Amino acid sequence: MTERLNSDIGGLPAGEVPREEIPQLFWEKHMIAMFNVLRAEGVFNLDELRRIVETAPPEQYKRSSFYGRRIDGMAELLIEKKIINRDELTARTEDILREGTRDHVR
Amino acid sequence: MNSDDPDHDHHHDHAHSRHPTREDDDVALSYGEAKFLALKSMLIEKGVLTADQIRRRHEINDLLTPHQGARMVAKAWVDPAFKARMLKDAKTAAIELGIEVTEAELMAIENTPTCHNIIVCTLCSCYPRSLLGEPPPWYISKAYRSRAVREPRKVLREFGLSFPDTVEVRVHDSNADLRYVVLPMRPHGTDALSETELADLVSRDCLVGTALPAQDAS
Amino acid sequence: MSVNASPTFAPGARVRIIDLKKQGHVRTPIYVREKVGTIDYFCGAFENPEDRAYGRVGGARIPLYRVRLMQRDLWPDYEGPDNDSLVLEIYDHWLQPA
Repeated sequence: MTERLNSDIGGLPAGEVPREEIPQLFWEKHMIAMFNVLRAEGVFNLDELRRIVETAPPEQYKRSSFYGRRIDGMAELLIEKKIINRDELTARTEDILREGTRDHVR
Repeated sequence: MNSDDPDHDHHHDHAHSRHPTREDDDVALSYGEAKFLALKSMLIEKGVLTADQIRRRHEINDLLTPHQGARMVAKAWVDPAFKARMLKDAKTAAIELGIEVTEAELMAIENTPTCHNIIVCTLCSCYPRSLLGEPPPWYISKAYRSRAVREPRKVLREFGLSFPDTVEVRVHDSNADLRYVVLPMRPHGTDALSETELADLVSRDCLVGTALPAQDAS
Repeated sequence: MSVNASPTFAPGARVRIIDLKKQGHVRTPIYVREKVGTIDYFCGAFENPEDRAYGRVGGARIPLYRVRLMQRDLWPDYEGPDNDSLVLEIYDHWLQPA
């Protein structure tokens, strides 16, 4: 049988379905909006994003959340398409973390 | 480095108004958020998109709520011709209610006395977002995605639903280009209710198959 | 929707979902491979996600079908009556007559 993709989890054993509901954070909604804009602009398509998410290391996929996978996937895809540079993204991310503020272009 | 946020779940209340948002200041700045902010500013600087485009899209997304699906169901309950159109082509039927479905296709699946339907996307999180807004945390969880196809009756029991063996439980795995919305059965004793009142009986989970409409919202 | 691909299977036809053993992005889950079911509905023709996922867009459209399978055929330990079923979407090239 073929090797199973990260995301191909139908039928695998799992625990109880988590039922807790918390509203989305503003940044998560903003990220989804950015994702929608990038697709509408033709920068990438949904199938490309799925493919990128599937090719993350299996352990990373297992530990990740939906929103984490989405931002990681978008970043990887934009790096693959040479639209952004990985080192610059990492540096900027760490700057923002160090500053600890959300005082950025909204 | 990646953006794990394992202790994080997400939700929308069933409200006819905008989706509630949790204020970012409630939580410490996470790696995921910082990465998003960095990515966004880089893309804006490079002219790939503008802050305004994101803001406008965010506003539009906030208007997409399960109430849109509830309105379609209520109309189907009172208008058999609309119901037939909805079952034939839900994407086109939605336009009659001023709802623009942007996914490639939308299919309405009818619950009957002998068949209860439940929707899942095992491979990712496909969901009729332009109709219902963002899916709830349970729908995008790995537990639901893995187990809904294999042990749907056990999953439904976790949601407080159980069906006798005379009722088929049918699972729809939304794995390609179609998106699905469940058309639940109209509850008994609702003959006197208006279309608006009927819509109030239909929660988000009714439209995915993990709940049944309330008997009466009052 | 479909401009250049008519269905090769009719609703009601018995089909096997074959395992193409294809690497890379595919939308046919492992749990249905080499299983037999019935064509439920012809969805129309769509671009192949296996190509789109690598930036190859605008290609030929492929027929997509809803295929219905019996749960007892998918899972040896399925908990539920014999007529519980599952429906999912399968592209034409993953199907063979059964």
